[in-house]
Amino acid sequence: MSSNLSALMSATFYERGYDHHVEIIHQRDAEARRRLESLEVTLYDGAGALLATPKVDPARDILDLRALVTDATRSPERVMVVLDARYDEAIFPYRPHHYAYLHRAGSTAPPLYYAVNAVLGGVPDRVGATNINNFETYVFRQGPFEQRYSLLLGCLARFVPVTAQVFTYYGSRRVTHDVTLAPKCHAEIPLAAEDAGERLARVEVKSLFRLLSYVVGRRADTGDLVLFDHLFTYAK
Amino acid sequence: MTSATSVEPQDESLLCYCTMLTIGELRAACQAGRWPLRGKENTGKLCTACVGDLLYCLRRFGVDASL
Repeated sequence: MSSNLSALMSATFYERGYDHHVEIIHQRDAEARRRLESLEVTLYDGAGALLATPKVDPARDILDLRALVTDATRSPERVMVVLDARYDEAIFPYRPHHYAYLHRAGSTAPPLYYAVNAVLGGVPDRVGATNINNFETYVFRQGPFEQRYSLLLGCLARFVPVTAQVFTYYGSRRVTHDVTLAPKCHAEIPLAAEDAGERLARVEVKSLFRLLSYVVGRRADTGDLVLFDHLFTYAK
Repeated sequence: MTSATSVEPQDESLLCYCTMLTIGELRAACQAGRWPLRGKENTGKLCTACVGDLLYCLRRFGVDASL
């Protein structure tokens, strides 16, 4: 092991009633060499209050968020789960990737598999990447709307609030919302499915300081999650 | 950006996860008039998630910083 430890802070959201498993290390590893040096987990409520700091073994492959959150807090609300990892750059030349499985227990909705959003340290200096990543887009498919869409945003800053602009596009019309989140606060921002007869086509999140962000879709009838995905950065 | 928190920056905390800059290293560099440190010039410019905290700390440590 080299002494060059690197860092990555990723985060996701846990909602009650869901089976939610995070694959700590996604990269293939026939020799079982790839593991984190350390992993600290912290849980926050929507107002940014620290709920718990459950201890986890960094060598484990899968983190069961349902068990973790249920054991750590009785909060019935959505919880922001922050994963603060240290890793050896000799083992992960870019960075570790966390992926997650999500499914509401008993639901007929299909399970979801998504990439956990890397917020701090996603662009390690040694890689030399220069693309901006604080302007993100999600394009909605144009099928019939049987879902309610929203953004889940979280602020991983330590000292200062972050303001973001959320742009939603309906045909040629653009609707703008400003969102300000204090450190460790998080919120769900509903996205109207239609505006002036035009359908929701695209959403963009623009912030000077990168936020934790996911676009989600819920079944209109049951509220079950059927979409949970990070937004995408497009470099021109 | 609106008002900041009253949380005191702790020297051992990692400020920039992309350049591995700690708050203590930033504080010492500012006090010595050596900011930006060699090798840490990209602090805040990569994933951008720490920019607000970086500006906050620079001002706390006496450096007139803005975007």
